[in-house]
Amino acid sequence: MNINDLENKALWLRQELFEMIIKQKKGHIPSCYSCVEVMVALYYGGIVNIKHRYPEDPDRDRVVVSKGHAAMVQYPILADFNFFPKSELLKFTQPGGLLGMYADYRIPGIEGISGSLGHGIGMGAGFAIAARHDGKKYKSYIILGDGECYEGSIWEGAMFAAHHELDNLVAIVDRNALCILGETEELLSLGDLENKWRSFGWETFTVDGHSFNELLPAFDKIREVVGKPSVIIANTIKGKGISFMEGKSEWHNKMPDTEQLAQARSELGLL
Amino acid sequence: MKMTNKPSSQLMRDIVINSIAKAAEKDKDILFISADLGAKALDGFRRDLPNQFIHAGISEQNMVDLASGLALSGKKVFLYAMAPFITARCFEQLKCVIASMGLPVTLISVGVGLGYDHATLTHFTPEDIACMRSLNGIEVLTPSDGESAEAIIEQAIAVPKFRYIRLDRQGQPELYHGNFRISQGLGFGHIREGKEIVIIACGALLQKVLAAQKILKSDGINIGIIDLFRVKPINTLELGSLLRAYRCILTVEEQLLDGGMSSAVLEMLADQNILMPVKRLGMKDGFSVVNGNRDNLHEFYGIDLENIVESARELVRD
Repeated sequence: MNINDLENKALWLRQELFEMIIKQKKGHIPSCYSCVEVMVALYYGGIVNIKHRYPEDPDRDRVVVSKGHAAMVQYPILADFNFFPKSELLKFTQPGGLLGMYADYRIPGIEGISGSLGHGIGMGAGFAIAARHDGKKYKSYIILGDGECYEGSIWEGAMFAAHHELDNLVAIVDRNALCILGETEELLSLGDLENKWRSFGWETFTVDGHSFNELLPAFDKIREVVGKPSVIIANTIKGKGISFMEGKSEWHNKMPDTEQLAQARSELGLL
Repeated sequence: MKMTNKPSSQLMRDIVINSIAKAAEKDKDILFISADLGAKALDGFRRDLPNQFIHAGISEQNMVDLASGLALSGKKVFLYAMAPFITARCFEQLKCVIASMGLPVTLISVGVGLGYDHATLTHFTPEDIACMRSLNGIEVLTPSDGESAEAIIEQAIAVPKFRYIRLDRQGQPELYHGNFRISQGLGFGHIREGKEIVIIACGALLQKVLAAQKILKSDGINIGIIDLFRVKPINTLELGSLLRAYRCILTVEEQLLDGGMSSAVLEMLADQNILMPVKRLGMKDGFSVVNGNRDNLHEFYGIDLENIVESARELVRD
């Protein structure tokens, strides 16, 4: 896909997520929207090796959305890869449906359970060690929230992955600078995240997380990194794509009213 | 008095690790991960099977997250650490990424209960049974001697599932004399048959209960002893039917009484509508630091030999 196609795909993903979440009034639109381009770059930008209709491929790359409140960002993509029927998207969170608020590892294409923060790096290191052990080439891509980086276990995992030179492990930090109560730097400073990861022995990249022109070259460079894990600090805007949600922490778990719905639909090209 | 219960010079941890090493030589998917806890047998494992040993660092949380990724990739993972740190310290991880996904990970803890006697409160696990048996789908096992430790780990190797194996820090005297296999499927060992009163315990405390049995026998009180080595899942039907043959129960544990082994027994009795007198000896709310060896601790916390004997006498009298 070229950049234009990827941008269209990103819009498609935002539209799908919007309808899925609004229908059930459950889910986290802003957390998903800040990592839409990251997810589209991975799945449609030629980064991850994932085959349609074959979620159990032993050689597939592993993608883990460790920031579990954005687990649903994967659902329309996985349905698009024909891992399960698209009709499941309409049953999101409903009895008898496959897809829940947080990722359940029994969903085809979901590698591990999510919802509690701080598990992705350790789990990903497990995938990476297993790949090496089995002589497999697959990589593991872990999407972290920046707020998730408050969890100490992330840094235990970071130290471990660097020591074991896990160049088949890639983390992407969705640096939207917001958590539920407000701005991270105001509430409890995460500081220079790139420096922190670098000091733990990771190869680091900082990009505009909404720009395919920056994301794709970073992922390409990561292919060349040998002997250490890589992390992309993706500077993003929480709620990107719906103007009144952008950069506003209060929208973390809030649903729009009738007027706002119309405006959002208009901005997303759904009208 | 004839010394029949001489502590084994072989530690249960060495027996367990040797069994895993033997299996790991043939099965490359077996991985052993330590959070910086050693053992004599582990030195050999690390030397002979370096690709199947991982040092997790003193990072139990990451150790468990790591285990989840490995287990999801088809590896048979054995995690090894001191008891307090492989339980409460990483409980969140055990709950979220092991129990929730039903992954076949075996936790091997060393120094359960008051095993690290001189280290005091931070190294005690008065809550490990309560914590661990609350996890979804876990099996909780406490070997009481080398033979039971070996049989339990062999089952864990043969049929991997989420298990918590509680090892004592010290070598334990032989208890089963080649008969553990008979009890293994039951989940408990009726190691002494008696009348009227039965004492339920597990692990190292069984030695104290055996000593109490001898004293009580000289009083003409013939107690039964049950080694409840599998506290979860408890064998409700078989254990219930055995307990009905007695008139009263005394439980003894190195656990806080809230949620520990005896709580599991009480739940089982209630579920089976078995009404009989039960007295529980264990640690009580508000327990504090005391320096000394394990015997000193037992005295301080009320689970010493004298208290066991006296409690049994009282139960029989009443």
